[in-house]
Amino acid sequence: MKIAVCIKRVPDSETRVKVANDGRSLDEAGVKFILNPYDEFAVEEALRRKEAAGAGEVAVIAVGTAASQETIRTALAMGADRGVLLQADAVPADGLAVARALAAELQDGGYDLILCGKMAIDDQSYQVGPMLAERLGLPCVTAVTTLSLEGGKGVAEREIEGGVEVVEFPLPAVVTADKGLNEPRYPALKGIMAAKKKPLAVKPFDGGTVGVAVTGMGLPAERQEGRIVGEGAAAVPELVRLLREEAKVL
Amino acid sequence: MTGNQGAGGGDQGAFAPAAYQAALPTERVILPVGSEGAGDQLEMDVLFVGAGPAGLSGAIELARLVRHDNEAGGSLGDVQIGVLEKAEALGEHSLSGAVVNPRAFRELFPDLSDADFPFRQAVPGERVYLLTAGGSLRLPTPPTMKNHGNYVASICEIVRWLGEKAEAAGVNIFTGFPAGALLVDGQRVAGVRTVASGLGRDGEQLGGYAPPNDITAKVTALSEGTRGLLAQAWLEWQQVPSVNPQVYALGVKEIWETKQPLDAVIHTLGWPLPTDAFGGSFLYPLEPNLLALGLVVGLDYHRAALDVHVLLQRLKQHPLFRSYFEGGELVEWGAKTIPEGGYHALPGRRSGDGVVILGDSAGFVDVPSLKGIHYAMQSGIFAARAIFQALKRGDQSAGPLAEYDRLVSGSYIMSDLHRTRNMRPAFTHGFYRGGIEAGLMSLTKGRFPGRRIVMDSDAAAVRRVGSAEPFTPDGALTVSKVDAVFKSGNTTRDTIPSHLVTGPDVPPEVVDFYVHMCPAGVYERVDGGLRVNAPNCVDCKATDVLGPRWTPREGGSGPKYKRM
Repeated sequence: MKIAVCIKRVPDSETRVKVANDGRSLDEAGVKFILNPYDEFAVEEALRRKEAAGAGEVAVIAVGTAASQETIRTALAMGADRGVLLQADAVPADGLAVARALAAELQDGGYDLILCGKMAIDDQSYQVGPMLAERLGLPCVTAVTTLSLEGGKGVAEREIEGGVEVVEFPLPAVVTADKGLNEPRYPALKGIMAAKKKPLAVKPFDGGTVGVAVTGMGLPAERQEGRIVGEGAAAVPELVRLLREEAKVL
Repeated sequence: MTGNQGAGGGDQGAFAPAAYQAALPTERVILPVGSEGAGDQLEMDVLFVGAGPAGLSGAIELARLVRHDNEAGGSLGDVQIGVLEKAEALGEHSLSGAVVNPRAFRELFPDLSDADFPFRQAVPGERVYLLTAGGSLRLPTPPTMKNHGNYVASICEIVRWLGEKAEAAGVNIFTGFPAGALLVDGQRVAGVRTVASGLGRDGEQLGGYAPPNDITAKVTALSEGTRGLLAQAWLEWQQVPSVNPQVYALGVKEIWETKQPLDAVIHTLGWPLPTDAFGGSFLYPLEPNLLALGLVVGLDYHRAALDVHVLLQRLKQHPLFRSYFEGGELVEWGAKTIPEGGYHALPGRRSGDGVVILGDSAGFVDVPSLKGIHYAMQSGIFAARAIFQALKRGDQSAGPLAEYDRLVSGSYIMSDLHRTRNMRPAFTHGFYRGGIEAGLMSLTKGRFPGRRIVMDSDAAAVRRVGSAEPFTPDGALTVSKVDAVFKSGNTTRDTIPSHLVTGPDVPPEVVDFYVHMCPAGVYERVDGGLRVNAPNCVDCKATDVLGPRWTPREGGSGPKYKRM
């Protein structure tokens, strides 16, 4: 079982967001970077599939700056076998450029399965997985919460509005991971030791023409302060009137 | 207005906190090597416990000595150096002022210049004030507090930078692995056992359970920082005496983005502390509009209702400070104790069979100059040199490792601490007499008063019960403990078992004392009894000094400091 996992280095979800002076990027001062949580589910799932198969290889591929090596090492410490960094000065905002570069790296790799997170928590584009599948000419199943592989095909469950959808697909395929797929492991001491000796190849990023650029970034409007209408049952008519006439939710 | 805001008044009895403290759980902290219960076993040659300035400097120096030796045809070969850290990521449990003396950086990185070091800026100027409730009097800067040539820095950033250097040198850094016990073989320290993770409130194993790991090493260097658990346990086990007991201060610190810039480091004495407490405040510019504010109070304070967090909040309302913070934003909050005992509180030896004790764990802090980072780093460098010689000799017993004590004793660490040996103790006599005596000590280069001033342990100092003056934070300039803990980045899961060992039968007045003592709101008085909100804990260790004993919990728990 040969599995590739596409991962990304992103700001910690606890980050206090501040826009940089250029007005279109994140101020990285005091920001901690982590492995994108959805990609962490993907790495964990790849390791479990390999363990279930009893043999194989898990390769992790990232597009990012040199600092992404640290993120790849985290995946290697969890148990992945080798890493590839497609090194860029910055990750382009155009998901297609990222997908092109990943596809070029992966297409002759003979992978049975390619896993991605369903999205990166920094740009929330949901693009790279499906575009990568398209570039590779493979079926794509997004946002899966369970996955099983058997005899050259996969079965996945996806959460849909009010229920669960079960889909079947042939391998190889691109599958994107949702929360709930598994509980990612913490790197063990021996895993951290071993990760230092695992191969990590660094290659230049080439995504072709970049068609999308971020031109501005802003913080959401501050939430308005709550208002106390009154107390007890006497306040209910006024609350109903406000919900109907002012908030227009009734 | 009197000087007791947040410190209470009235006299309704007295007690010594020591009477209600549990003993150090030595039987859990010192284990024979090979004891049951460990998952992975890992072998290192040298293990540093704690990735602060001391441990990381030691690891860097040792890796370099080994590399040079191998390059020169030496026979050491591959030497595995490990650094254990309880925080989830490097620097997240490190907190300091800090104005840093670059001396140890220069020694550790002779090829780099000051501009390469992870400092924010050279000290741009300095001012010292004596505060009253509404006013301030500028004082001449005491000789011990002159900071020309020093740098304003964030210890979080220093630790992350040292961590990169250590990794580049081949050191194994294991973050998220607290050491919970010393592994011993006879009288020899043989390594440590880490703490299990994934336990439920009653100690049951949850889905993500991971057992403790045993890491053995030829030498274990205890660089746990202030009030280190393993260092305390080893000193107690080996009955290593000190002339005075170690004493501590509690520092509570905030980082603010401000509208008004600051172009100097500011220190204050006096208000809002009562005159029978020792301490003061600092305000340092990391950048002109990024300020570090802290208040430090000796834990031998007399009023049971004194609350360092509340005093820091009041401090921001003082005219000298208020203008900086109004319209600004509180970015981070944290707390940490500082070993303040100085020369006479140092353990009689800081080395033994298979073990050395570094930095804050040993007590290498000079209170009059408010410095510890360069002593911690220097002690790590000395430890590395002693360990290297011991590895070369193939003998890591107490004899060869005593070289570490000799190196420290012959260095500026010891001469600096000796010069100021009686300054902190003088303040047990109160602020004014202490101030006069400390001035005389400065003039005589430490010879006054010609005798050692005896200090009790903090827990033995008697507390006067009194009511606290109520304080209601406004949520902008001043914050509650709950909001403060949120700003520490603490996201410890709620289902964690309590890591705090409470004494039996804690009476209500002592519960109230704990409530005020803990800056993170861990303790609450509920129906006259003690409620422990263990996940709130930010590992400052004040509780271990005065209240329920602290033990480590699963890796990654506690604060996540970024620029402290």
